[in-house]
Amino acid sequence: MIRDSQDVIVKTLSRLLVPFMVIYALYVIMHGHHSPGGGFQGGVILAAGFVLLVVSHGLEQTRKRLSEKAAGVLSSIGVFIYAGIGALCLILGGNYLDYGKLSKLLPVVPAEARSLGILGVEIGVALAVMAVMFTIFLVIFTVGEFQEDDRSEK
Amino acid sequence: MEVTLLLEATENAFRIMEKARAHALGVLDTAVQFTGEQTRFMEEKRWQVLFAGAQRRKTRFQNFVGTALILFAFWMLLSGHFDPFHLTLGAICCIITAYLFHDLLFANVRVGDMRVVALRFLCYIPWLIQQIVLSNLHVASVVLRRKMPINPQIITFKTKLETDISSITLANSITLTPGTITMDIRDGVYYVHALDQKVADDLNAGEMEDRVAHIFMEADHLYVEDVLDAARIYDALRV
Repeated sequence: MIRDSQDVIVKTLSRLLVPFMVIYALYVIMHGHHSPGGGFQGGVILAAGFVLLVVSHGLEQTRKRLSEKAAGVLSSIGVFIYAGIGALCLILGGNYLDYGKLSKLLPVVPAEARSLGILGVEIGVALAVMAVMFTIFLVIFTVGEFQEDDRSEK
Repeated sequence: MEVTLLLEATENAFRIMEKARAHALGVLDTAVQFTGEQTRFMEEKRWQVLFAGAQRRKTRFQNFVGTALILFAFWMLLSGHFDPFHLTLGAICCIITAYLFHDLLFANVRVGDMRVVALRFLCYIPWLIQQIVLSNLHVASVVLRRKMPINPQIITFKTKLETDISSITLANSITLTPGTITMDIRDGVYYVHALDQKVADDLNAGEMEDRVAHIFMEADHLYVEDVLDAARIYDALRV
């Protein structure tokens, strides 16, 4: 269903655009505690970059960079980072996601620990959002030919 | 009598054995030569593969570093925080992104002329802006006139541009200029919608295409051929 685009304009422009989209998404994620943005928004932009690559360069080119299996693993890792940081705060004697308690582990003052904790949570959220968005897109747009490997075995 | 016969037989036997030995040696020689050639061929092939692999790895590494540097510049432009913490974050992000997308930015670039291309591209932008202003005025005058003398048409022309970057530069320049819109490029043929005869004629004159070809150094060999007038030189050489 998703083939290589034959349009030279779309193909070349997306080729030039995708790395900058991804770095912009990472910027939005990493500066979530300084400026507007954060994990969810950055993750969506990140997923949009991969989706653009699928639409313009086809599924095979994208699979080389982020396969379906890797997307599944990344979504789990993202949730694990988020829940892990929350639970770590719980273990260290605070509330769930009470980042200030992380200063017991990290060699910084509580305020700094809060900033770092938010950053970690945002990275987790971004990974989960990106992987899940990407997977949903692939599942919707490759109906019938999603798992070609399974079908060829039968 | 028997002795002579015996001697003869022995001699014959020796001769046959000699022949057989020579034959066997010949076969052995051929075999050795063949194996040697085979080995040399395999060796050469192995070196070739190694060399091509090294070349590819070198190109990939160059692309990786180039992409990472460009992306890091973009990151600094966006970020505005220049403390070590944010710069480290940026470097990590750039390395991950460059690792994932190192083959995208420099897909069809001919190596060695990047600086010239960048310079010529910068020189092209003022000319493009001037063209945009001029055709803005033209389209405004056409549209504001009472009878509105428009003549919409689709013109097609075959391009001489070779790489995809130059093709899309021309296509986007055409679209940026008011009155003309690039609809499609198919197999090197542009399908352009033009508002009236004048802008269509301007486009068919091909100045924009020549300038774009000049930016990406694609017209140079054509110019050289024109100047040298090869036929006359060949005539002189033949005499």
